[in-house]
Amino acid sequence: MADQMMAIAILLPVAAGFLVLAVRNYYARNLIVVVTAVVLIANSILMSLNGPFTYSPDGFNWGIVITALDYAILIFYLYMGIKLRNWLVLVFALTQIIPLAYFEFVMKAHIEVTPAFVVDHLALVMTMVISIVGSLICIFALRYMYDHEHHLHIEKSRQSRFLFWLVLFLGAMNGLVFANNLVWLYFFWEVTTLCSFQLISHDRTQEAIHNAARAVWMNSTGGTAFILAIIYLYATKGGSAMSMQSIIGGGLQGAVAVLPIALLCYTGFTKAAQMPFQSWLLGAMVAPTPVSALLHSSTMVKAGVYLVLRLAPVYAGTTLSVVIAIAGAFTFFATSALAVSQSTGKRVLAYSTIANLGLIIACAGINTPLSIAAAILLIIFHAISKGLLFLCAGTIEHQIWSRDIEDMEGLAAKAPLTTLITAVGILSMFLPPFGMLLGKWIALEAAYAVPLAAVLFVLASTLTIVFWTKWLGRLLQVLPRIEMPFEKLSPSYAVPLWTLVAGIFIVGMGVGPIYQNFLLAATNDVVSGNQIIAVGLNNLILITPSFLQRDILGLFPVWPLYLILIVALIMPLLLIGLKPKELRPVYMCGEQTGGTDTDEWLAEADRKTKFQLGGYYYQETLGEKKVNPWANAIAILLLVIMLGCGVIVI
Amino acid sequence: MGLIQKSRVKSPWILHFDNSSCNGCDIEILACLTPLYDVERFGMVNMGNPKHADILLITGPVNRRTARVLKNLYEQVPDPKVVVCVGTCASTGGVFHNCYNVLGGVDKVIPVDVYVPGCSVRPEAIIDGVVMALQKLAKL
Amino acid sequence: MMIKQFLLVLIVLVGAPIVGGLLFGIDRRITARMQGRYGPPIIQPFYDFFKLLGKEYIAVSRMQFVWIYGYLVFMIAGLIFLLMKSDFLLLVFILGFASVCLVLGGFSTKSPYAHFGANRELMQILAYEPVLLLLAIAIYAQNGSFLISEIYKQDKPLLFSLWPLFLAVLYVLTIKMRKSPFDISTSHHGHQEVVKGVVTEYSGPYFALFHLAEWYEIILLLGIISLFWTNPMWVGILIALAAFLLELFIDNITARMTVGWMVRLSWSVGLILGIINIAYIYYTKGV
Repeated sequence: MADQMMAIAILLPVAAGFLVLAVRNYYARNLIVVVTAVVLIANSILMSLNGPFTYSPDGFNWGIVITALDYAILIFYLYMGIKLRNWLVLVFALTQIIPLAYFEFVMKAHIEVTPAFVVDHLALVMTMVISIVGSLICIFALRYMYDHEHHLHIEKSRQSRFLFWLVLFLGAMNGLVFANNLVWLYFFWEVTTLCSFQLISHDRTQEAIHNAARAVWMNSTGGTAFILAIIYLYATKGGSAMSMQSIIGGGLQGAVAVLPIALLCYTGFTKAAQMPFQSWLLGAMVAPTPVSALLHSSTMVKAGVYLVLRLAPVYAGTTLSVVIAIAGAFTFFATSALAVSQSTGKRVLAYSTIANLGLIIACAGINTPLSIAAAILLIIFHAISKGLLFLCAGTIEHQIWSRDIEDMEGLAAKAPLTTLITAVGILSMFLPPFGMLLGKWIALEAAYAVPLAAVLFVLASTLTIVFWTKWLGRLLQVLPRIEMPFEKLSPSYAVPLWTLVAGIFIVGMGVGPIYQNFLLAATNDVVSGNQIIAVGLNNLILITPSFLQRDILGLFPVWPLYLILIVALIMPLLLIGLKPKELRPVYMCGEQTGGTDTDEWLAEADRKTKFQLGGYYYQETLGEKKVNPWANAIAILLLVIMLGCGVIVI
Repeated sequence: MGLIQKSRVKSPWILHFDNSSCNGCDIEILACLTPLYDVERFGMVNMGNPKHADILLITGPVNRRTARVLKNLYEQVPDPKVVVCVGTCASTGGVFHNCYNVLGGVDKVIPVDVYVPGCSVRPEAIIDGVVMALQKLAKL
Repeated sequence: MMIKQFLLVLIVLVGAPIVGGLLFGIDRRITARMQGRYGPPIIQPFYDFFKLLGKEYIAVSRMQFVWIYGYLVFMIAGLIFLLMKSDFLLLVFILGFASVCLVLGGFSTKSPYAHFGANRELMQILAYEPVLLLLAIAIYAQNGSFLISEIYKQDKPLLFSLWPLFLAVLYVLTIKMRKSPFDISTSHHGHQEVVKGVVTEYSGPYFALFHLAEWYEIILLLGIISLFWTNPMWVGILIALAAFLLELFIDNITARMTVGWMVRLSWSVGLILGIINIAYIYYTKGV
């Protein structure tokens, strides 16, 4: 049973990818992807129902294959560095190959890690997120890439290649979250970087290739840190330290030194594009939207926070933990501030993604049972909501053929259905009763353990309100008119969008039982202690650790809040109507021309002028030029302190 | 009087619009809002927004350009509403009624309820005119 | 117990707009007296409310109605949360949702005045929200719990330990009550600089709902201020009313300032007060 489930989770996407690469027919390709998606989703649900297990593939010596593929990927980076004349890519490929070869041939590392794969509750949570959200995004990509190539008048279709890398990536992610063997984890890590490179550079424009190279070298610094951590662990502890479970089990109390953990956290930071590495994620936004949705918001960057979260029990109680909390919180704050100044939709989403990843990392750093629960809830809800928002951005892009928020003004008139779904996505990111706010609420309630992080959370939360509301406002600004019927969306767009919307509501409303039956175990995999008690279906009560001996820390009545949401917004939306005779023009000091839906007015000498509205972006205070210097400087300082914690054992 | 009727009388919100007057009547209207005459004790507030107004106080004679604006503003004021012409110019065109660009008084463009003559109108007369308009509003 | 709580909530929900409206009426009367005039009767807000209810329904978009309902319902929900002595942090987030509904109502049409009124309202949220969130964390630091019911169980009033945040909350009250110098996005008097800002395109019955929501809001805000002294409760209520009168005084001696000044002032003074307060509690009480 375990064999089949593991094989399906890791190997099926690889096989499906190769199959898609070979097949040229559009409809056959789509069928393969849809079938793979359905099987993956079913498999992940089956795995979760089955419960945790461990697995080692026997018979075939997978270790040799993995090592060989490792070198293949790194040599490919070397080749790319030379071909693109990008010395950073070249250097950081070398800094990985040389230590890897040293590890292999000089240290003659004999790694026998059993079990090779450990699927505990946290891994089950991650694989459900990867499989469900990832598969939906792959389905979205089918029609999206068709329209994309159609719009760009591309002669020779490269959709096969695109779908190959997209589907292959799912297998690599699954392998990553299951891996117990550090060397195998490194391999899956590198495969995800490779997929990122291939997908960002898909359009083969100068900018795309440049940004893809930047993604590679920044992630390669993380890869280098990974290998150095592996070498250090092997040198000090031997082959047994190659198992993730033994590292976690041993803890820092004499078992494992701080330095390799700090290095591994650094790796997580680069993958999650925390400051000062945020530029690769921003640059990755030039890729087609399914790439941004899958890799750069829901899934691949979650690998970074997954690693930091996994290691949380190891660095609990140390200064390293506090530094990680502050670094994550600072990223949350700085990138939220930067997001206010962005006028491209995808850049706002990118900055928001980095911000939320910073929040999750900070929760891991705060390292109390409550904050770990917050981190896991945030991972789930962020994947759903942000995945939905990126898909909405892609849908909007294919309706108005622009990514600029200013061009999205009045979308509610041109594309009401898309606007509605986008509104649900945006509101679910920062408002009660939705899951993201629930996670943020728990994080704030847990944050007092590191008060500086709590203050940064507060400032960042306020900034998120500003940029989300601003964007949603631009979408809604329409001239007075009676509403148009909903537009038609192709099923490849509609199915993932509606499924994710349903997911927001279902997972949000059912968060009590989901937590009690499933996520509590996942939290206990990381750290145990009283954290959240879910009472019935409609309450979440937080139980405090021993601070001041109070019974209840906080209370979040889930269903009453959804009921309030329905009464406040959904019922008026459905019940209130507007008759044509009630419509009036907007106030333009009486100077307007035309009927009620005009935006023209008579200026000097009765010249007809359209009035124009522009969004506020506060470039002088919050623009990248102003914020990046000091924010990057502080972030680098925090990283130096973090790695310094490893060198000076504190 | 019903509750809503009484409230309409007790809470008249004003939109003050100047067509092309010499500003004499406008100054007198603003004087009403000062502590000396204090119409706010009757609940009158000068809202600058037609969508919030009940009473339109119009000054100045109507010319071709302001006719369009006046009609526009009148349509944006929700019912029930009353229109008060303040000053001789607003009522009939006054001193300017023969000018080539002047169409005449406000009633050339929108229906008027109360005419308050004067050049310029005394604040007491304006208040009297508004009270008369309120009595009309109460019956609407 | 449940019936008693339910009855309390019901009584307050019905009585709060009445008290809120009277407070606004008293506001206008005292302001008028400060300015050397008589001013309208105290029940003037109710006359305004019923007059607006009797107006014709006109609108510039259907979504306007939806958002103003959202604003009203979330404000009432916030008041219910306060009465049920529930989680304070969640209360702040619910107030946030109400404010966002108002902003989106302003954004729901392509209107110049509503557009920049809504953006200014968003800047107001940026100015006051951090202070309220810091207040929530400070309450936790002091009491060990985010629940409002825990505040009532304390012996010492919150004012003694949280007085810097009390000063910061007075800023918040000025901004939320739309009093000078922070009456930036819309204001109560006939200030025409922004032509009513965020509520420019509202009229008639839906504008009446906006006023109703404001009455609930003032009761909610004064309720939050009264939490600073809960034992006995009438002292807290007196403090809240004193703060209210202070706001009237501030309103009459200042003029409207710029958005940037408001945000800078709030983020420097408000944040510093909040951070000092939390830091002090952290270092004296521990975690």
